[in-house]
Amino acid sequence: MVLELHKPRPIWVIMFSTHHTDIGLLYMITSIAFLFLGGTLALAIRAELFFPGAQIIADSMTFNRMFTVHGTTLIFLFILPFAAGVGNYLVPIMVRYKDMAYPKLNAIAFWMIPPAAALVWLGFADFTWYAYPPYSVISAPAPAADMWIFGLKILGVSSVLGAINFIVTILKCKHPDLPLSKLPLFVWSIFTSSLIILVAIPTFAAALLMLLTDRLGVSGFFNPAVGGDPIAYQHLFWFTFHPEVYVLVIPAIGMMYEIIPRFSRKPIFSHSSGVIAFVLLAIVSFASWAHHMYATGMTFTVKTVFMIGTLAAVPASAMHVFNFLATMWGGRIKFTAPMKWSVGGIALFFAAGAGGVVNSAMPLDFITHDTYWVVGHFHLFVMGTIAFGSIAFFYYLFPYITGRMYNEKLADIHFYLSFVGAVMVFFTQHVLGLYGMPRRVFDYPAIPEWIVMNQIATVGAMIMGASMAIFLYNMIYSSAKGKPANMDDPWGLGGKYYYPYQRKNPRH
Amino acid sequence: MRAVCSLSLVLMILVILPTVNLAFGAEVGEYLDRRVEIWNLFFRMMVVAFTIGAVVSGTMIWLVIRFRESNPKATPTKYEGTGELDRYE
Repeated sequence: MVLELHKPRPIWVIMFSTHHTDIGLLYMITSIAFLFLGGTLALAIRAELFFPGAQIIADSMTFNRMFTVHGTTLIFLFILPFAAGVGNYLVPIMVRYKDMAYPKLNAIAFWMIPPAAALVWLGFADFTWYAYPPYSVISAPAPAADMWIFGLKILGVSSVLGAINFIVTILKCKHPDLPLSKLPLFVWSIFTSSLIILVAIPTFAAALLMLLTDRLGVSGFFNPAVGGDPIAYQHLFWFTFHPEVYVLVIPAIGMMYEIIPRFSRKPIFSHSSGVIAFVLLAIVSFASWAHHMYATGMTFTVKTVFMIGTLAAVPASAMHVFNFLATMWGGRIKFTAPMKWSVGGIALFFAAGAGGVVNSAMPLDFITHDTYWVVGHFHLFVMGTIAFGSIAFFYYLFPYITGRMYNEKLADIHFYLSFVGAVMVFFTQHVLGLYGMPRRVFDYPAIPEWIVMNQIATVGAMIMGASMAIFLYNMIYSSAKGKPANMDDPWGLGGKYYYPYQRKNPRH
Repeated sequence: MRAVCSLSLVLMILVILPTVNLAFGAEVGEYLDRRVEIWNLFFRMMVVAFTIGAVVSGTMIWLVIRFRESNPKATPTKYEGTGELDRYE
């Protein structure tokens, strides 16, 4: 952060600080590091699938371990901590308070992440990030599976602590002159996603405990050999993790709400519709979990209920997209990196949403279930929307954090390569799914269409990998030797804005 | 508002009602050629998704070209320089 530029501080002062900008910085740097680690695993997975047969990964067990840790890392150690980091950085400033409500609890929530990450990475479990029984109960090798369970448990507690802190900060610490209705949409996004976390996570926490005791042989909740029901785990899991999808995507949309009006040089088209859409998404996120389970033998009536529950998210999502478009309409848009990434993210968000609507129709789900369609669909969300929004905001905060500007040309190359790469990988995976290729496979038969589409996807992934290497270089080089930024208006947009660098750093 | 209601009605007729019908039809044991029903639904939903997608994507591409800062027709917005864009603590 810019405090370092003007008044350098040793790294351990930042590491053991409880100030919200320091913890926000730690969250963001940690999450970006895990983006690269998880992304590296993705490249290895795609390289393996370039041709049928074994290529670079020795066996299917190793392959399973890699995509398990890839998914776990990018969801729990990149996307969630990044949103928490940005929230830490900006929410107290936006609600006009000196810090988060509970600074020490905030630091504790962050410092739970490294040990949890160590458990996940050192264990390298093989049962996918779902950990579905009966495999996870009966066959998944220890200690990897148990380490994963403990790691996720710690991450869940960290999320809940962070969510409580955000909710209290927003509701109880905001300036008395600032009504809830006037809070920036980014604050609303953090608020609604924190509420979802509080309601959703305890269910998975219970499921993890039950899974662990099943594995230890002292219970049989999910073990069919002793009368347990593996489907019960799926209900508990998806009751948490379908809402969790919105926990991931809502902050990214909130970040776009900060960037798009700013770079369009217009106020947001409709603040109230953004708030309503966030609240609606938070509510309907709990009405659609079983659409992940159409193939588990539920009655048609239940499936229909969950299908309609899923479709109920469409109007709220569309409200965000139309809000963005209406804000840009009539603006004078400056297309620097944050805006490019945001607009790219909106385009892919819409594409992902359209695919999701088609997929939510339960008769169609039987065709696409467990195929690469699903992989393409959710990756378009998590990479195309959430990661794009997060990277946009990373560029946006970069001058405020470092006091220097990033290299705009390299940022452009980063964006265009990533966008093309994302389309090549994830759109192709949709079609690959319609051609019947199952997901989570180490090898596949030499069907010409499958081979070609896998190769297109792999080339797209490599392009994205190259763009991320450019990103890494740009961030490191520019933070050390970039041009000093005009801190009051780094992009020459006019108008005054939130200036994180002007915050004092009081001792706690 | 009228347009929204009309669009919702069209979507309902195209997508939701036939699917609900299909679901209940299966429960009472009526004969269904599911392959036909599924692909029928698939094509209808793809038509809806691609039509809306084309409109929204087209609008977005036009917005990006028309309202970019470097467009010769670009003019300052009415909010610039008025203080309405200021947001600070």
